[in-house]
Amino acid sequence: MPDVSGSSDEEDEGLFSLDPEADGEARITGVVKGKHIVTPGELVTSDSTWMRGHGTYSVGTSTYSSVAGTITRVNKLLSVTPLRGRYVPEVGDHVIGRIIDVGTRSWHVDIGAKQAAVLMLGSVNLPGGVQRRKSESDELQMRVFLKEGDLLNAEVQAVFTDGAASLHTRSLSYGKLRNGYFFSIPSSLIIRSKIHTIELPGGVDLVMGVNGYLWLRKHTQQLGEQGVSITRLAEEAGWEIYSDENEYIAPSIRETIARYANAIKALEYGEVGVSEARVIAAYEASKEYKGVGDMVENDAKRRIAQQALVFIQ
Amino acid sequence: MSRPEIYSPEGLRIDGRRWNEVRHIKCAINTHPASSDGSSIIEQGNTKVMCNVVGPAEPTSSSGGGGAKSNTNSFANENKVTLSVKATVAPFSTIDRRKRSGNDSRIQEMCLTIQHIFEEAVMGHLQPRSQIVISLYILAQDGGMLQACINAASLALIDAGIPMYDYVCACTAGMHDTEVLLDLNRLEENDMPFLTMATLGATRKVSLMQLETRVGVDKLEPMMAAAMSGCHYLRQIMDAQVRKHGKNRLARVGA
Amino acid sequence: MARDLKPTLIENTFVLKALTENVRLDNRSFSQMRNLDISFSSTEYGAVDVHLGRTRVIVRISAEVTQPRSDRPYDGLFVISTEISPMAAPTFEAGRKSEEELVISRIIEKSIRQSQALDTESLCILAGEKCWLVRADVHFLDHDGGLLDAGCLAVSAALLHYRRPEISIVGSGDARQVVVHPPTEKVPVPLSVLHVPVCVTFSFFNMKLAQSSLTAATSTTAATTPAKENDEIDMDTDDTDETAVLVDASLQEELLRHGFMSVTSNINKEICQIYKAGQLAVEIETLLSCSEAATAVAEKVTKLIRRRLKEDEVARNVGNVLEEARAENDRLVADEGVIQDMNND
Repeated sequence: MPDVSGSSDEEDEGLFSLDPEADGEARITGVVKGKHIVTPGELVTSDSTWMRGHGTYSVGTSTYSSVAGTITRVNKLLSVTPLRGRYVPEVGDHVIGRIIDVGTRSWHVDIGAKQAAVLMLGSVNLPGGVQRRKSESDELQMRVFLKEGDLLNAEVQAVFTDGAASLHTRSLSYGKLRNGYFFSIPSSLIIRSKIHTIELPGGVDLVMGVNGYLWLRKHTQQLGEQGVSITRLAEEAGWEIYSDENEYIAPSIRETIARYANAIKALEYGEVGVSEARVIAAYEASKEYKGVGDMVENDAKRRIAQQALVFIQ
Repeated sequence: MSRPEIYSPEGLRIDGRRWNEVRHIKCAINTHPASSDGSSIIEQGNTKVMCNVVGPAEPTSSSGGGGAKSNTNSFANENKVTLSVKATVAPFSTIDRRKRSGNDSRIQEMCLTIQHIFEEAVMGHLQPRSQIVISLYILAQDGGMLQACINAASLALIDAGIPMYDYVCACTAGMHDTEVLLDLNRLEENDMPFLTMATLGATRKVSLMQLETRVGVDKLEPMMAAAMSGCHYLRQIMDAQVRKHGKNRLARVGA
Repeated sequence: MARDLKPTLIENTFVLKALTENVRLDNRSFSQMRNLDISFSSTEYGAVDVHLGRTRVIVRISAEVTQPRSDRPYDGLFVISTEISPMAAPTFEAGRKSEEELVISRIIEKSIRQSQALDTESLCILAGEKCWLVRADVHFLDHDGGLLDAGCLAVSAALLHYRRPEISIVGSGDARQVVVHPPTEKVPVPLSVLHVPVCVTFSFFNMKLAQSSLTAATSTTAATTPAKENDEIDMDTDDTDETAVLVDASLQEELLRHGFMSVTSNINKEICQIYKAGQLAVEIETLLSCSEAATAVAEKVTKLIRRRLKEDEVARNVGNVLEEARAENDRLVADEGVIQDMNND
């Protein structure tokens, strides 16, 4: 066992200099490779010219890390991105949420962030179209549209100064979810892309919330695909957008949904980032298991995650 | 029956360590990724503690202290995060199997202590109106329960990605006649005065110091010095584990 | 809730600002205790009334004969019960244990019971059958900070003052019986107190934090500025002078302090208990010097307790023949030298 009476010399690899005078190229590649980890209390730079962003704090002129993660540099802004952590909402994020509370003129929505998000009555489409005025009777029957326990997908409209998010569903791709299966994975595993509603092979849609909440559903003709002109879309929106009824889902579709879910859980088990390509790769890899239920074994999960990575490369 | 020799004239302790050696340490983070935001397990000798951290999240009435209504935000702190600490001592954690009641004042005091430590170490002002729940499970006790709990909580909070100034590391030191012994096991704890100390990272700043047995004031200084070097050593071990885990993870997650 | 009202912001600013200029609100020096007064009941043994500034605590000791615990047949029982009622301050709720109360009761327990200030073996009457149960009931009557310090020293003083009834054992074998003699029959005997623990609480103020909260409180825009991404408080590690250490904080200072440490020690320069639980992290050297300062305070306070006990004894025994009749040897006490009134420093 090591002797601790002696002076504890600091971690040799720890002190990572971000001195702007130093050779810029070598430094940046060191960061971009993403292999360098800083931990709380570690000195990031002793140069005061850097601006300190998320995940850092300063003592005098020195900047220290406050989380375990990797250094990110945008111009003069230094920040440390944590390896794990709760979802931090950003404007424009496509998220899935669950109504936890119906308030006055707003719903509280759990999106897996530090605080519940707010969905204002004014930020939803009500039956009857965009131009429809919200009346007092709408306020009184808010539970008819969305009640506690309902799932919906929405976009982050604004983020308040304390970090809470405000959502909106003012588009037909957002709104109440049905015909499917919900599960969640750590939000740090979701790889952001432009499109988070993915049509997967096998007649299944995946709504991949940036917050790590996922929805797998039977592929249905969306309103936009039914030949209604784009300008009249919102006006056509009827009561069905708030429907709680599931449509008929064939057993084969159910099995495909389960297979996709298990494939994504395998990626989660292997701590592999989840993207459209990887989900499809994992689905393909899972076909060597006949029964969907066989995929819940840890060995199977590990194999699928590895094969998904190989497949992409 | 002769009592076991706590410290032999050759300078060996009951389990074969020297005075300045800590027990075998094993720790891991992210042990329960599904049930919590951050989790850890630490073994210091035969003492074993598991920790789960949930949050920062919207405060709930059941865990938010006080009998407030379920109305969200009604008792959330507007300026900083609310911490709550719960500890469960497993009935099988000691040799004599015993069911412990949840409101043992010793355990309550320990929870409060850990809460006060991390209220200072966590950058609470960055998470206003939210709550962090730290749950500790003491699976095996062989001395140094408090230190293991503090170390486990530190690791779990880091795993949860919660901003902190530094690791909080804790260690015990005892005084056997005139000899200082580091990181005591249960037999040694029962035999001699000892103190538990926690430092903020590898600094000389002491976050916690507790002494519960009578000892001469002149013996305090050597005990404090030893405990502090123990804390600094533990920080290295814990830091190495966090880095190792981070490297593995980065290699797999990459976009 | 009105009962939890804290001092107003402007009061806080005033106190902190004064502290940064090395002035306490009542013009004490940082290491000075408030006026300490100990008085004993003139009619009963073991009832003590302690005033520490405006803080007031009374302790009553009582004893009864009972059965010892089966796992410790040679030990008597000693129980300290502390309850803070709304009488001390409206913030305390009757029946519900607050965090502060939990800490106070635990520290008094550790200071006195766990440090074996009372020799529990001497409370044994018949091994495994009969023993004394000594109870110390601590009542907090007024709260102006330092409940813990006042409570701890009140229990110590009361234990020294208490006299339990004399007993004798009649009969033999299974027919043995314990007879408790009322004080009119036999002179009550003092408890065997091994040492006198005295608790001193040091309050820590981070001067830089105090400064920054002053500037935040004075700027009206503080409430509207968005939450900062990083921590702008400069914690200059080189500056060891940033922590102000106050002895015996008043209630307002207690509410504002950034951290505290309670040290219980006795006149023999022994530390019985140290409690520094989280909050502001303080340099190790500061903690060490506080512990040493605590022993000096303990010495002063112990001498005061001894002096008051002696005064009480003199007053109590005017024209009393019982004092002459007792068969005990005088105990050796360490304060035979100069008795110094600690209020005069």
